[in-house]
Formats: sequence, structure tokens, C-alpha cells
Amino acid sequence: MRGSLIGTVIEREWRTRVTKRSFLIGTLLMPFLSVGVIVATVLLTEATDTSNLVLVEDAPGLITRLDRASGQYVPRCPGCFPEREKHAYRFVREAPADSVWQAQGYTVLVEFDESILQNHAGYMVYEKSPGVNAKRYVERDLSRAVEHARVLESTALDWSAYQELKVDIQLVDREVTEAGDRTDGGGEEIRGIIGFLFSAVLFLVLAVYGGLILRSVVEEKSNRVVEVLIAAVQPEALLLGKVIGMGAVALTQIVAWSLLSTLAFTAFQWAFDSGAFTGGLVADGGVPVDLMTTMAENEFTAILLDINWGLMVLSTVAFFIGGYLLYGSLYAAIGGLVQSEQEGQGMVFPVIMPLMFSYVIGSSAMSNPEMGILPWLSWFPLTSPVIMLVRVAVGVVWWEVALSWLLLMLTARGILALAGRAYRQGVLHDGKSTGWGLLRQWLQGHGK
Amino acid sequence: MSHALSLSQLRKSYGTQSVLAGVSFEVPKGAIVGLLGPNGAGKSTLIRSIMGIVSPDEGTIELDGKPWSLERVRGIGYLPEERGLYKDMRVGDQAVYFSRLKGMGKSEAVRELRLWFEKLEVEGWWDKKVSDISKGMAQKIQFICTVVHKPGLLILDEPLSGFDPINARLIIQEVRALAAEGTSILLSTHDMPSVERLCDNVVLLNQGQVVLSGAADDLRESGWTGEQDVVFRGNDIAFTNALGALAHLESIGPDTVEGTRRAHLRLRDTTPPGQLLQALGGAVEVLEFVKVRPTMESLFIQAVNASENPATTS
Repeated sequence: MRGSLIGTVIEREWRTRVTKRSFLIGTLLMPFLSVGVIVATVLLTEATDTSNLVLVEDAPGLITRLDRASGQYVPRCPGCFPEREKHAYRFVREAPADSVWQAQGYTVLVEFDESILQNHAGYMVYEKSPGVNAKRYVERDLSRAVEHARVLESTALDWSAYQELKVDIQLVDREVTEAGDRTDGGGEEIRGIIGFLFSAVLFLVLAVYGGLILRSVVEEKSNRVVEVLIAAVQPEALLLGKVIGMGAVALTQIVAWSLLSTLAFTAFQWAFDSGAFTGGLVADGGVPVDLMTTMAENEFTAILLDINWGLMVLSTVAFFIGGYLLYGSLYAAIGGLVQSEQEGQGMVFPVIMPLMFSYVIGSSAMSNPEMGILPWLSWFPLTSPVIMLVRVAVGVVWWEVALSWLLLMLTARGILALAGRAYRQGVLHDGKSTGWGLLRQWLQGHGK
Repeated sequence: MSHALSLSQLRKSYGTQSVLAGVSFEVPKGAIVGLLGPNGAGKSTLIRSIMGIVSPDEGTIELDGKPWSLERVRGIGYLPEERGLYKDMRVGDQAVYFSRLKGMGKSEAVRELRLWFEKLEVEGWWDKKVSDISKGMAQKIQFICTVVHKPGLLILDEPLSGFDPINARLIIQEVRALAAEGTSILLSTHDMPSVERLCDNVVLLNQGQVVLSGAADDLRESGWTGEQDVVFRGNDIAFTNALGALAHLESIGPDTVEGTRRAHLRLRDTTPPGQLLQALGGAVEVLEFVKVRPTMESLFIQAVNASENPATTS
């Protein structure tokens, strides 16, 4: 019977909240906003690629030659100045006055002299900035063209032979584990950022839903519904039902966010890859531009590609359950002890100090994910929900995660039982003391 | 015979203040017992003790002849004085929720609630939010939530507060009907006319003690101080002479168009009413001879004054 009553309380808490307009709006809006940030970042990157017609003034004749057939100057190096969708070159020996080349439709003038071979510098002249990508294209293309000129001038090699001889070394990080094995390493900072992003979300959800529990308990006391409720349900069972019900609401939201975000991202990826946003943009090598490549080129979106989403979502949900049971029951107990939400906020502050502390440490872990204090905090139940996520992202052995989670769940179970008794004391109490005074009274007289 | 509720020597103190000082009484099965008392008499604490919301320091509570237990308390229909509903929930959903907490299945709850909603004329409010309905309407919903699971014992704390006279009458009617079906009812109220209309028994609390208890009729009978109303036709002087030493004339009304008059008398301690009627019958034509029993309100005031100032009222 007790179980079915708790089930009834859980169902009410869940149903009344998930059918609220604010919940539906928040649940639908959040994934589209987050995917919207990615979309905006990608599209803004593309949008800043305004059409540029670049006039290259090769006064020393280092990189161009006259094509007699067309009467135009063309690059000596084949393929050094590829045609792009919104980026094209024309070459001259001597550029006209600024007003003239601008009137002719050029957006950028690139100037250099023979010293470019020594000091590797030239000028880029424009009225309006052509954008970061355009500058990157010009630098890359001009560098290759000058390199081509130097190879031909200084070596007996032809260009294709030189290209084959060129070596581009890449170092792959390998970490030595405590067991003496070598594993893939590197990228800790990026993974630290990823871990912090997840732990920040967890921190916010814990704080927001904890606050909702507090408000709900205080509301039930002030509108006197609790008097009717505890005539039917034991206060401990009521608290358990309330905490689990609200937790189920939060989990519903997390799951809905995950599914809708995946759906929205997949839809965007499909639209992007099919050229709906790029108009069939083609990369340097002639391959059509896809979303993953575009995202990889952007510092922010590249981080998103590094995330092991399955592992992180699973860990977030697991540590959310433990963290939520622990902090949620504390919030509920406080709600039972106070008369107003304002009084409750005053009591909540010291309780969530460990959570705030772990958030601060988590943010430091972004720049130093191997901090010595992190393992300790990731085992301590009051801080583990936030900190362990950072460690999971950076890389940690599975048994440490399991042990930390087990410790968290056991502590949550204990706190839940204790909070149930404090809640009972609070809601059944009809004397004048509230808040800290009532807690002190309970600890002195009834805390055993 | 077992009672629906039996309290024995219930005591409760907050610090040095004694709120219940050895309260004992019973609610017989199928009876409506009025729990009366001035503000601060301990009525709410008593009810909260029965409901397990407050733990009494001493004493025993039996429900249906068996020791108090939380499971038995769940069977009680309890309408607290300070009652509320979830403002952001639909009326019907809320009523179903409370019914399910009382052990009803969902479909059974919906079926019974629909009947009650119809009976109390609130069927059109099922899908409305509580924030959209009036206070009186919310009171009706709370009453329905209290009785829908067909409790054997009903505890109603000020059930008529917030109701207009028409709706108050509707609730009184339903309370009577429940009692007629065998429900035992403990009714705490300050509304004396409703006590007179509803209650079989009365318990009057003051300063945490029972100062008066018994069957309502018996109490009014035993509180009778010899007051009598007489409607007669005839000569005033003959009427007054006939009273003689048997009764004192308190007041007499004017002549009516039918030539009758109404007199209010107080019998001497030793005068039996029959003897007075006989004496008056020989002098005038007696049309009505009615014993004027004290109201519950006057009994209440008398008993409270007596308990607070025993020397002056004895």
C-alpha cells in the first residue's frame, strides 16, 4: 500500500509538471536553441565568407607569367590559386590606383615585392575587411606560390618532385598508465572543457530542480494541502514521492533534450550536407563541403565533435540520479522546516556550498584537468556528481566511476532517510519555531 | 458496543502550556457529535491528535474499537479547518488524486466523484483549474474529496465556513444523509444553529477540558430554566391572576387581530408545567403551551462562563 501511495504522489508530481506549458516550451526550446547555436556558428562562418575578387599585383613577376593565348597573367604554379565559390584571383604586374581597381569590382588588392622571399610579408589592401577566411586563403595560396618560386629558383627539383619530398610530421600523444601500458593521450584541455560543460549542466539542473522542490514543499504547507496529504500518506513517503516525482520530471527533460537535440542536429546535418545552406559549396580539393568538416574547422564546434556523447550522457544521467536524490531530499527537508521560500533560500545556501565549490573547481579543471584534488573530490559524495563528470570526460578507469557512484547512492539513501525525518518534524510541527530554530530543536530532542 | 471513535485521557502540552488536559469522550457509530469550544479551547489540537498530525503526550485513541494506527487513520474522512487545494491543478485531477491517496482505484474514484460533483452541483467545474473557481466552489470540492471514499468516520472542522446559506444548507443535507447511511461524524464548529440542526451529541471543550457533554436534546432539556411560551385568548387580568405563585410573567405581547396574546413565563422551581397549564386553562383559552428550551449558544456561553468563573456561576 505504501508503495502504491508513493507511486500516486510520484505520478502527480510528474504529470502536473510535464503538462505545464512552461515545461513544454523549455523542453522544446532548449534543444533547438543549442542546435541553433551550432547552426548559427556554422552559418555565420559561412556568411562571413563574402564574395571576394582578389587582385594580385606581382610586380617582381615571381609567381605569375603572361599567357599569350589569353593575354592574361596566370600563376606559374598550377593549383596554387584554386577557384573557390566566393573567392577568385586576377593577376597584374602593376595595379591601377585604388579607386580604379575598386571601380573595376575588385575587393582586395595584394601587393608584394621581391623582399617577400626573405621577409615573407606583403600587403593586403581593402576598403571593407574581406573576412578571416579570405585572408587565410590568400596567405595559404600566396605562400604556396612563393614556395613554388623558391623551389624552382633555388633547387634543381621540379614542383611535383618537391611536393613528394615534403614531409609533414604529426606527433600522436601516448600516455603511460599506472599499470605501465601506453594508451592514447593528449587533448586533455579540450576534454576538460567538455567535462566542465556537462558538469555545469548537471549543477544547473540540480540547483533548479532543488529550488523547485523547496518551492513545492513550502507551497503545500502554505496552502494547507499538506494537512490533507499527511492524513493519508506518511511524511517520509510523501517526501520520497515528491523527490522522485520531480526527479522524474528532470530526467524526462534531459532525455527529451537529448533526443530532440539529436533529431534537430541530424536534420541540420542532412540539410547542410545536401547543400541547402551552402549552395553546393566546394572545398579546396573539389570535394563538397560537409557539416563535420565545417565544424572541425571552427574552434568552438570542433570541441563538440570531440565529445563521446554516449558515455557523457550516460554518466550525466547516472550522477544526476545520485546527486539529485542527495540534494533534492535536502531541499525538501529544508522546505519542511521553513515557512516561506525566502527563509528556505537562507537555509539552502550552506547546504549547496559543496555543490558550488565543486562547480568552481570544475571550472578550474578546464585549464588543468589533471589537478591533484580532483580524484578526492570525485569520490566525495557531495562533490562527486559535478567533479566525476570532468574526470569521465578527461579519462578515468571504470571502477573508480562505479565506486564513486556507489558511494554517492549510499550517501543519498542515508540523507534521504534523514531528510524524511526532518521533513516529518517540519510539516507536523505546529509550534512557533521554524528554520534553523526548528532544526536545532529536532536535533536536540528528536534527531536520534 | 464499540464506538467509531473513543478518546481516553488525552493530554498534550506545548512547553508549559497545557492544550489538552485529559480529554475523554466517544463518537457512537452513526451519530453526529458536535465538538464545540471557544477559540483556543484545544479543538484543532484534539483533531490533529486523532489524525496523527500531533502526537499526544498521554492518553489513548481507539478507532472502531481498535487501537489507533496510521492505516486506520487513512480510512477517516478529514476536512481540516485550514484546508487548501493545488491552485495549478485541474479540479477533477485533484479530486482523483486525493481519492487515490485514500485507497481508491482511478476508475472507481472518477465514477464516485462524478456522482458527487452532480449531487453538489459542481459537475461543470471538473476541467477548471482551482485558481479559476470561487472559494465556495473550492469548499465544495474539498468536502467531496473528504467523503468520496465512503469513510466510516468523518471529521469535519468548520465545514460550513465560506458557504452562503443556500450551499450551507446543501452541505448540512449531505452530512445528514451520510449519518443516516451509518457514517459517524465528529463536527467541530462555531456555528450553533448547525449544531442544533445536526448534532445528536455535543462535547464542549474549554481550556483543554471537556466542560459539557451528552446528547444534545438531554443537554437542552437539563438546561431548561422554566421558561414557557403561552398563546391564549381571554382576559389579561384573569390570566395574570391564574399565574399566581406558580410562574412569573416575564413579558406579554400585544393583542393580535384574532384577539390572541403571547406571554413569556418563567415557572417557579417547584411548579410542574402540567399544574400551570391546568390553572391557566380554568381562566383563559390556552391555544399554545410551549416549553422554551435554551439554545445551544446560551448553553455554550453558560458552560464556558461556569468553567472559567466557577465561584460566580454556582
